[in-house]
Parts: sequence; structure tokens; C-alpha cells
Amino acid sequence: MADESTPQEPAAPADLGALELTEEEQALLGKVTDVVRRIHFGTVLLVIQDGKVVQIEAAEKFRLR
Amino acid sequence: MNLAGSPLRPAPDRGDAPVKFQVRDLVRTRTATSGAKVTAVDGVSFDVHQGEFVCLLGPSGCGKTSILNILAGLERQNSGEVLMDGRPVTGPGPDRAVLFQEPALFPWLSVRANVELALKLVGVPPGARPDRAMHWLRNVRLERFADAQPHELSMGMRQRAALARALACDPDVLLGDEPFGSLDAQARELLQDEVQRVWVESENTKTFVFVTHNVREAALLADRVLVMSAAPGRFIEEVRIHAPWPRRLDDVLVARVVSEIHDLLMQEVER
Repeated sequence: MADESTPQEPAAPADLGALELTEEEQALLGKVTDVVRRIHFGTVLLVIQDGKVVQIEAAEKFRLR
Repeated sequence: MNLAGSPLRPAPDRGDAPVKFQVRDLVRTRTATSGAKVTAVDGVSFDVHQGEFVCLLGPSGCGKTSILNILAGLERQNSGEVLMDGRPVTGPGPDRAVLFQEPALFPWLSVRANVELALKLVGVPPGARPDRAMHWLRNVRLERFADAQPHELSMGMRQRAALARALACDPDVLLGDEPFGSLDAQARELLQDEVQRVWVESENTKTFVFVTHNVREAALLADRVLVMSAAPGRFIEEVRIHAPWPRRLDDVLVARVVSEIHDLLMQEVER
């Protein structure tokens, strides 16, 4: 059984509607998706302060050989 | 999402900025004392946009210093093309300042006089030199040592004086050849902070290209890291880091980039 400190399982894509996203959250998802779509290999990092995403950082790798 | 309220600066996108350097199929060979031909750089091509901070990273002897010297106009390539603002690079110029591993200050001149001499050489009128020199010495926190001779300063302070001298001349481009390579860990961190600050404050008008074999330094400073193979030097990977400045080595993204590049380079030197 999960204790209280365990983060909740993320909703499956089909349940997106059930999350009842606020406009702010939808805008965030849009921005994250935009970054993710532009990266083939790399890392995307969300920086959260006081419960809000304040920054999206990314590192993008290109193999040159 | 309140990105505007962030105390940190967002990383700018420089894809639309004009191209500062255009390097195509660059080859540099040297003749060893035995007479054998050694290929230092083997057909590399890359662009650097205005306002970018690019680090060339690679193991010793991979030709990264040769590339930097060619950008500076201190060395000529054997073949290939190097354009700055669309014109071929044929020699050094006041539009490009170079920071070497050694500070290369004149030992008989005070710190202030070293900076003022550089200003004289780029044609700054005499009346404007003292203020401008002091402005940059303040900027690297050396104002109290303006009248000291270089030998009275620590290595880190000398390198800061060299940085002030380079930036006082207001070059479009700052080229660094392992500029912090000979410094102790603390002096190196201070200088890295100074360089980050100066570059951020230049509001993306200045282009910095640094050569280093220090992975942490590259991930900390650069927009873009070009990772080179062991000799003969070729680019094996490019990492674009979209993270704001000032950065710290313990930032999660910086730490991750460092470990990934480190693993890649270890494979490279063991090859």
C-alpha cells in the first residue's frame, strides 16, 4: 500500500480530461510539448518554485558521426 | 506559469542571430620534427552565431587550439574556409580578443597601464583611456590593485586583469584558449562567474568561443558544446544547453550534461 509521501501515479493519456486542467496548466503542457517535439535526443527539466513551474530547461544532443 | 517572475534569466534562442563565424571543411596539418605529417584538424565545419557562447571540448591534442588560433587569425589553415561576418579571416584584428592560458601581461607595467596600453593600441583617445580602464578593472573586482605590478598579484588576479584588458577593448568576439587552465579551483570558479556575468551583461551582442578540456567548465558556460574526438580532431557530438545564467555546477541539468559528455569522452580516449 502506498504511503502518503509516495507521489501519485500520473494519469494515463486517456484520463487527461479527468485531470480537469486549468488554463495555466494547459499552457504549461503546451510549452513542454513544444520543447519535447523539437528534441530528438536529450533532457527536459522543469524547475518548480512554490508549486509553480518557473523554468523549462533543456539539453539537446546531436551525434555528429 | 509565471516565467516572467523568475529571478533567473531565460536562455535566449539564437537561431535567428546573424552568423559570426562560418567554418567549412577546415584542415590543419603540421610537420613533426621527424618530417612526418600530422593532421591536427581533419575537415571540420561549424557555424557560430552572434551572441553565442560556444565551447570546443576535447582531449589533449585534438586540434581545438588550432581551430581557435585560426579563428583568431594567428594560424592559417591548410585548406577549408573560415569566414567572419562573411569575410575570410586572414589575420588577427581588434574585433577579436584572445585570452590565453597565461595572462601575458607586461611585467614592467602596472595593471592599469597594461589595460590602458591595449586601449591605446586599438585607437582609444588618451582622455578616454583612464576611465575605461578603471571601469573594466572594477568590473573584474581589481580596482584596489590597479597600481600593482603583475608579479604582486595571484595567478587568478592576473588572469582577471587579462580579462579586463581584453574586454576593455570592446571586441565583438572573445576567444579563450584554456583561459582558466592554470588556475587553482577557487580562482577558476571566480573567473567562471566573472565571465558568465560579463557575457550575460553584454546582452547577447558579444560572441564567446572558448577551448577547454574541462567538461564542467563547458557545461557551465556554453550555449553550445562541440565535443571533439581524439586526434585527428573531428566533431563527434554537439550539445545545446537551454538553461539560464548564471549557472551553477550543481544545477541538475548542468550535472547531467557533464556526466553524459564525460562518458562520451572516456569512450573516446579509450578508443
